[in-house]
Amino acid sequence: MTAALLEFDNVDKYFGETHVLKTISMDITDGEVCVIVGPSGSGKSTLLRCANRLEEIQSGEIRLDGTAISAVDADLNSLRQQIGMVFQSFNLFPHKTAIENITLAPRKVKGIPETDANERARQLLNDVGLADEADSYPNQLSGGQKQRVAIARALAMDPRVMLFDEVTSALDPELVGEVLAVMRELAREGMTMMVVTHEMGFAREVGDRVFLMADGNLVESAEPTTFFNTPQTDRGKRFLSKML
Amino acid sequence: MSDSFSKARGDVGSGQETRITDTLLRRVAIVISSVFTIAIALLLGYILLGKVDYSLIPTIFPQFVDAYVLVLTIVGVSSVLSVSSGIFVGLARVSKTTLTNSIAAGYVQFFRGTPLLFQIFVIYFGIPTLWPGTFPIQDWGTPTAILALTLNHAAYVGEAIRGGIGAVPDGQMEAARSLGMGYVQAMREVVIPQAWRNALAAIGNDQIILVKDTSLLTVIAIPELIQQFRNVNSATFDPWTPLLLVAIAYLSITIPVGRLVEYLENRSEWGSERV
Repeated sequence: MTAALLEFDNVDKYFGETHVLKTISMDITDGEVCVIVGPSGSGKSTLLRCANRLEEIQSGEIRLDGTAISAVDADLNSLRQQIGMVFQSFNLFPHKTAIENITLAPRKVKGIPETDANERARQLLNDVGLADEADSYPNQLSGGQKQRVAIARALAMDPRVMLFDEVTSALDPELVGEVLAVMRELAREGMTMMVVTHEMGFAREVGDRVFLMADGNLVESAEPTTFFNTPQTDRGKRFLSKML
Repeated sequence: MSDSFSKARGDVGSGQETRITDTLLRRVAIVISSVFTIAIALLLGYILLGKVDYSLIPTIFPQFVDAYVLVLTIVGVSSVLSVSSGIFVGLARVSKTTLTNSIAAGYVQFFRGTPLLFQIFVIYFGIPTLWPGTFPIQDWGTPTAILALTLNHAAYVGEAIRGGIGAVPDGQMEAARSLGMGYVQAMREVVIPQAWRNALAAIGNDQIILVKDTSLLTVIAIPELIQQFRNVNSATFDPWTPLLLVAIAYLSITIPVGRLVEYLENRSEWGSERV
C-alpha cells in the first residue's frame, strides 16, 4: 500500500446551519482514480471543492502529500498549483483563446517563458485532440471541446491530482464520449484523479475505487466491481437500483 | 394564409370596431416621423439661413477655438483620471474588507448624491478658506474643474465597474484561483478584462456626460464654451450664431467618444461573429 497523496481527515463542513459534510475521512493514493457517486445534494461536489479550498471546512484536516491544505497559514497558491480542477461549467476565460487559456497560469504563476509555455500548450491541445483549435475563442468551441481545453488548462500546471466536478453534466449526450475518452487516457497514464460523476459506466470501467455519498456521509467505498455487483449497504442498493 | 398569431392580433374581426393592426401602426408611424422630420428641417433651415449671422463668425471664432481647446484639455485629463480612479473605486466596492468597502460606498453616495454644481462650489469656494493663511494656488479655476469632474465621474465609473465585476461569473475567479493564481493576479488577468467589457457601455455613457458637464464650469468663470456664448450673446444680442458654434463644438467631441466606445465594445466581442 503506497502512502496517501490526498487525505481527508474527519472533515466537517457546514453551509450556515446545514451540515453538508459529516466527518468525512478518505485517502487517495498516488495514481488512484477515485470516483465519487451519489444523489444530488449529497455533498460530493462540496467535498471536491474543499480539496483545493474553494470551500472552507469547519473542522478536520485535508492534506496533500502530508501538507495541510486546510491550515490557516497554508500556501494556497502553491498547493493549488499541484491540484488541477475541471468544472461542470468549463469556466474557460472567454477573453482568451484556447492556447492563451492554457498558457496563462504557467506564464503568470510559474513564470515559464511564452515560447516554452506555447510549445507545451500545443502538445496538450494535441493530446486532447484539439491541435487545430489553438487560436479559437471559447465561444467558438462546442461544449465537449471547451471541456477538453479546460482539462488541458489544468494539466498545463503539471498537477499531482486532478479534480473533476461533474465535467460531463453540462454536455449534450453525444459530446460526453470525447471528454470521457480524454479522462480515460489520463487515468491510463497514471494520473491521480478524484472524479465526481453521474456516469456509472465510466465509474465502473475507469475507477479504482468508488465512493458513495448520501446526505453528507460517505456511505460505502469499494472496488467498482464489488460496488456495482454486490453493494454492501441498503443505501448503495437503493442508489444503484435508481441509476441502472 | 395568416397564422394564428396575426389572427389573434385582429386580422380576423368583426370589422365594426377600430383595431390597431400592424399596417395601421406602420402608417401612423410613417406620417408622424415625416411630419417631425420636415418640421425639424424647416426650423433648422430657418435658423441657419435667417438667424445665424455668418459675418460675425470670423470675429468670435478665435475665442471659441480657445474655449474648445480648454474644454478638450479638461475633458482629456478628467477622463483619464476619472476612469483610472473609478476602476479602484469599483474594486474597493467589491472588496470583502468592510472598511475599504464602506469608504468606497460613502464616497459614491456623496459624489453621486449631491449635484456636480454643489461639488464645484465646495472645491472652488470652500476649500481655499480651509487653508491656514492665503491659499497658495492663484488660478484655482482649472484645478477645481479637473478635481470636481474627476471626483464626480470616478463615482459613476466605480459603480459601472462594480456592476461589471458582479456580472462576471464566480466560476471565473474560482478557475483562476484553482490554477494557483493569487487574488490580485486573478482580478487583473481574468476578472477585470471581462468586467471592463461589461462596464464599457455605462462608462462610455458617463464620459459623454462628463464632456457636457464642463458647461457647468461657466459658474466659476472658466472660459469654456458656454462662457463664450454668454460673452458673445451679451455683447451682440445674437444668440443663434454662438449657439451654433457651441453645438458644433460639443458634438464634435461627444460623437467621436460614442464611436470610440462602440469600437472598443466590438473589439472585445471575443470570438463572436461581430468581430
